[in-house]
Amino acid sequence: MNAASHSRRGFALLAAGLVLAALLRVSVGPVATEEGTALSLARPSADVLSLRATSVASAAAVGAALGLAGLALQILLRNPLASPFVLGVSSGAGFGVSVVLALAYATALPAAAFGGELGGAVAGALLTLALVAWIGRARDAADPTTLVLAGVIVGAMFSAGSMLMEQLVPFGLRGDLLSWMAGRLPEIPTKGLFGALLALLASGGALLVARARALDVAALSDEEAATSGVRLGRLRVELFLIGGILSAAAVAYAGPIGFVGLVGPHMARRLVGPHHARLVPAAALAGASLLVAADAARQCIDVGTGRLPVGVVTALVGGPAFLWILRRRPWSQ
Amino acid sequence: MEPVTNAPTDPMTTVPPAVADAPSTDPLLVAERLCTRYGDTCALEDASLRVCRGEIWALVGPNGCGKSTLLRALAGVGAGTVTGSVRYTAVPRSPTHANLARARAFVPQRPEVSSAFTARDVVALGRYAVGTDPAAIDRALADVGLAARAHRAFHELSGGERQRVALARAFAQLDAGGVLLLDEPFGGVDPAEVARIAVSLRARAERGAVVLSLHEPGLARAIATHAMVLRGGRVLAQGCARDTLQAATLSEAYGHPMREIAVGADAVAWIVPALSIDRDPPSAPRR
Repeated sequence: MNAASHSRRGFALLAAGLVLAALLRVSVGPVATEEGTALSLARPSADVLSLRATSVASAAAVGAALGLAGLALQILLRNPLASPFVLGVSSGAGFGVSVVLALAYATALPAAAFGGELGGAVAGALLTLALVAWIGRARDAADPTTLVLAGVIVGAMFSAGSMLMEQLVPFGLRGDLLSWMAGRLPEIPTKGLFGALLALLASGGALLVARARALDVAALSDEEAATSGVRLGRLRVELFLIGGILSAAAVAYAGPIGFVGLVGPHMARRLVGPHHARLVPAAALAGASLLVAADAARQCIDVGTGRLPVGVVTALVGGPAFLWILRRRPWSQ
Repeated sequence: MEPVTNAPTDPMTTVPPAVADAPSTDPLLVAERLCTRYGDTCALEDASLRVCRGEIWALVGPNGCGKSTLLRALAGVGAGTVTGSVRYTAVPRSPTHANLARARAFVPQRPEVSSAFTARDVVALGRYAVGTDPAAIDRALADVGLAARAHRAFHELSGGERQRVALARAFAQLDAGGVLLLDEPFGGVDPAEVARIAVSLRARAERGAVVLSLHEPGLARAIATHAMVLRGGRVLAQGCARDTLQAATLSEAYGHPMREIAVGADAVAWIVPALSIDRDPPSAPRR
């Protein structure tokens, strides 16, 4: 079939993109010289190589989680503009993390006593998602931009909340929080969090693949999907949890990184078509490629004070992509 | 009052006459005392319906009379508060989604597809709960006259074609028979296709049954075996299509004089609204 060969080519492109970006990320990086740091393509030492490989793994996992979260949210809300960042879910998760950290500081207890970073992120993400979906439903649900508007406002509120929390922690921790808030891919993975991210990514991805046919049917109107035999209520709860929890895991691990969750699924649709059996793995692959590429790109940009946070790179590229999707009304995908 | 013609109700020569008089002993769908409320507004009051194998029920009445509300209640996707009972006899007492999907299919007034699927992809979605069957999908596409456009993107199709794709999706779902619940299935569909699809509906009704809402009482009388006339959420009349879809009942339902005319050499009964545009000034009292 024509569609099958089209999607095979799409997968090949996505995989090639991921491999190329990973190779670039591993081979390029700042090297300490006598004058400071400089970019070098010289073969790095084994230690440096291992740090860079870890960074690639981090970026791939976070990107894949964001790609799947974005896809889940786009299906759940029937909205091509939906994504963790645009809907404010990332900000909500970030707020959850800063509340946990501030509480841990104030009480001198470990963060785990308040659910840990991941617990805080999940609570914040699900709360935000519920709030935004509720507003989008109360208002004219037919207009995708209403939901985005609600997301922007709720996200701004939670970002302000996070900044408030930053004021409550001492200066040292604040700098750490601030760099995390800009999106940061750990080169030394915080073990528990990375493991949790991988586990959630695997289970969320497996569930989405298992539901691929139901997700296809969910493209119909609710009435048609329900009468075709899809358990829409259950499917929505699953999409809500996958979208919220994968966003939260990505944020807890790497901070709120924008636009990968939006652009990843759209790129995947273009490359492998609308069938979810292929679209789900492709969205994960696209998210991973995008974030590894963004991470590699930022290694090549030296702004004197150090490297750009990866969130800045994704926003610089993803922002225009968002505007392009916004322009393409009526939504054809 | 216009004279009632007793000619066979057969405007489209290809459509065999409706057999409303045949004794039907095989109810597929039994709905009792259905009511739907949206807050304080009662959109449907006390509608009962017994649909047997081979029957085509037309729901007729003015805009907002409760046709769509009744169809949604029958499909089990009614908004608002729905009371009363709907039972598909082919389905056990505690039905699963898959069981119900084998017993009935629903096509809303405005079908939606929010993915870049082809027409054939969309029709294939109808097989979700009943098992993949390419032959059933091909039959469904042929029945709505879209076999040649099966690989077009749904979004590139015209409004009428999209409507036909949605219809084919329901056909594919109930390839083995069942109750087709169709809300305005002919919206935007050209007359030749309406005639063609009417034949398919007849054929498919033999394996199951059809309940559809229509805005054209003449068409309803031509293709349906039974009819229900609604007004303001209440059932005005129901029964055999020929007896129910009378000019007097329809005039009352629409609040506008309706006439029955005989069309063509076969003197097929068609029902049209009385028009007084040419002869009378707008202020003239209604005849």
